Amino acid sequence: MSIIAIENLEKSYHDSEIEVRALNGINLNFEEGEFTAIVGPSGSGKTTLLNMIGGLDKPDRGTILIGGNDITRLSSRKLIDFRLRNIGFVFQSYNLIPVLTAMENVEFIMHLQKIPRADREKRAMELLESVGLGDRIHSRPSKLSGGQQQRVAVARALASRPAFILADEPTANLDSQSTRNLLGIMERLNHEEQVTFIFSTHDQRVVEKAHRIIVLEDGKVITDRENIPVVEP
Amino acid sequence: MIWSVAWKNIWRNRMRSLVVVMAIALGLLGGIFSSAVLKGTSDQRVREAVSRETSHLQLHNPKYIEDQEVTYFIGTGYKPIAAVLDTIRSVEAWSPRVKFMAMAGSANAGIGVMVNGIDPDLERQVTEIHSLICDTCGGWFKGGRGVPIVVGQALVKKLKVRQNSKIILTFQDMQGNLTGGAFRICGIYRTSNSVFDEMNVFVGRSDICTLLGADSLLSHEIAIRMKDPDETARVQKLLQSTFPDLKVQNWKEIDPILGMLNDFMDLWLYLFMGIILLALGFGIVNTMLMAILERTRELGMLAAIGMNKFRLFLMIMLESVFLSLTGGIIGIILATGLTVYTRHTGINLGSFAEGFEKIGYNPVLYPSLDLYFFINLTILVIFTGILASLYPARQALRLRPADAVRNE
Ligand SMILES: Nc1ncnc2c1ncn2[C@@H]1O[C@H](COP(=O)(O)OP(=O)(O)OP(=O)(O)O)[C@@H](O)[C@H]1O
Ligand SMILES: [Mg+2]
Repeated sequence: MSIIAIENLEKSYHDSEIEVRALNGINLNFEEGEFTAIVGPSGSGKTTLLNMIGGLDKPDRGTILIGGNDITRLSSRKLIDFRLRNIGFVFQSYNLIPVLTAMENVEFIMHLQKIPRADREKRAMELLESVGLGDRIHSRPSKLSGGQQQRVAVARALASRPAFILADEPTANLDSQSTRNLLGIMERLNHEEQVTFIFSTHDQRVVEKAHRIIVLEDGKVITDRENIPVVEP
Repeated sequence: MIWSVAWKNIWRNRMRSLVVVMAIALGLLGGIFSSAVLKGTSDQRVREAVSRETSHLQLHNPKYIEDQEVTYFIGTGYKPIAAVLDTIRSVEAWSPRVKFMAMAGSANAGIGVMVNGIDPDLERQVTEIHSLICDTCGGWFKGGRGVPIVVGQALVKKLKVRQNSKIILTFQDMQGNLTGGAFRICGIYRTSNSVFDEMNVFVGRSDICTLLGADSLLSHEIAIRMKDPDETARVQKLLQSTFPDLKVQNWKEIDPILGMLNDFMDLWLYLFMGIILLALGFGIVNTMLMAILERTRELGMLAAIGMNKFRLFLMIMLESVFLSLTGGIIGIILATGLTVYTRHTGINLGSFAEGFEKIGYNPVLYPSLDLYFFINLTILVIFTGILASLYPARQALRLRPADAVRNE
């Protein structure tokens, strides 16, 4: 069974008089262990789609089944808890709490899940080591580079043991070196630990790493295809 | 963890938080210290009035309270009452008094006074008038020639007399005839209430009873001093039921203004602090609103990753409470220091002394506050923080995570 099954998803925004059809009948399935890029021109609905899947916003029509539950029917209170337990998020920016260290940021989400301190400290350490930040665990976000901050965000997203991770343009603010580094970590987690990633991007070099590419245009899926990632020399 | 995040959050904008914290601290310093001065002054006035003027309890013939006639004395005499008082442990001492109005005259002037005919040894255990006679102003019924009288400094001035001067008291005797006697001033006392000093003279009870033409020693009043003032109400009830023919009054009934001063002071102080805290609360609201506005994206991110409304609310409320409590604690510490210091040294309002004494107040103020006030104030400060967080927190909870995390 698919971990995410989307049917007939529609979402419109009303910006003053004009109605903008951000999503116009989306049907998609996602399987465990996917490494999928959602691409498309600006305004094509990538963010809207990811927000719907992540339960951050509600569609006008259609269903989103995650692990068999239709999240469009959950109350906002239940939805918050659902997000906490099932979905990992990496945003383009503002991912971290500035007053907490890298380690504390990773711990924070486990604190929300009421995981005992000793367990969460151990896991936060392991995760930060696995994203290559074992030596920066006590640094605050302001002392980390953009790429390092995004790696902390990936560690934080993993910490809650979600079913999948949604990343809306995670590399948009990064230079090419940091982009390659972050992608490498995501690929390795996907390959070695079967972590499911669904990310949107404008960056062709990022797209090439995906195993599946979904192209949106005007709120519709126009292409959905497999991709053999380019192996770097 | 939310607690520590909240604490760290308030120091993100160090300057802004420091300004609010200082505003709270100084506001409370001012408020607490003025409260302490007020409370100290009122406590002092109450304490002095009780120990010099009213005592804790007084017994009278009920008719005497309405009309201070010499014939309305306590019918049984004071002995049976004394026997009962002896058995009550919380009673420290008592003093029977003959008490009536008279004219006091010297060669220079005449003025109406209240004559207190007392047993010097009993009276000195109840009131502290005896200790308010300065070293060069004679003594409490000691030495000298003639019939002794102790008078107040203010009366001495009015009558233009000195120690050892003679003054004449003129009054009606038991039969209603005008009579009088000559007394020699053996001591001059001075309280901080010049009206009391001008009004009250003390003479020997037996001396005055003889002049009144009474067959025996009379008592119009029995003043009681409590060992344990908290027991006053209980003893009052006990005495009233033991002596139903007499009227037993406590100091608040004897001097209602004094009682009101005592009872309303606390209410007034809380009202006063409440208004100050309300004003400070608005400052906190403003600061918190700014803090939330700056952090829209971060708060949206927290909601997105699964921080529920209760926890978000808790975090914002804690930030507000930490702000108010930090200011509050600094203010309380400063105010305690200032209060303790000035209580030690006293605040001497030298140049206003005369005015203060005319209304019965000691011109040296000793600020005082009790522990309960500080405990209640701390609770009020926390409460202010909670209250001030409600509106900002509501604003924060209205953020929709999808909007907050969108990249514009
Ligand atoms: N809150 C909103 N109010 C009004 N219109 C909106 C809102 N959010 C999105 N839209 C509109 O919906 C459409 C889809 O937006 P969306 O952000 O999903 O596109 P996108 O593919 O993520 O674009 P980009 O690549 O620029 O991030 C756009 O036309 C956008 O203007
Ligand atoms: Mg977008």
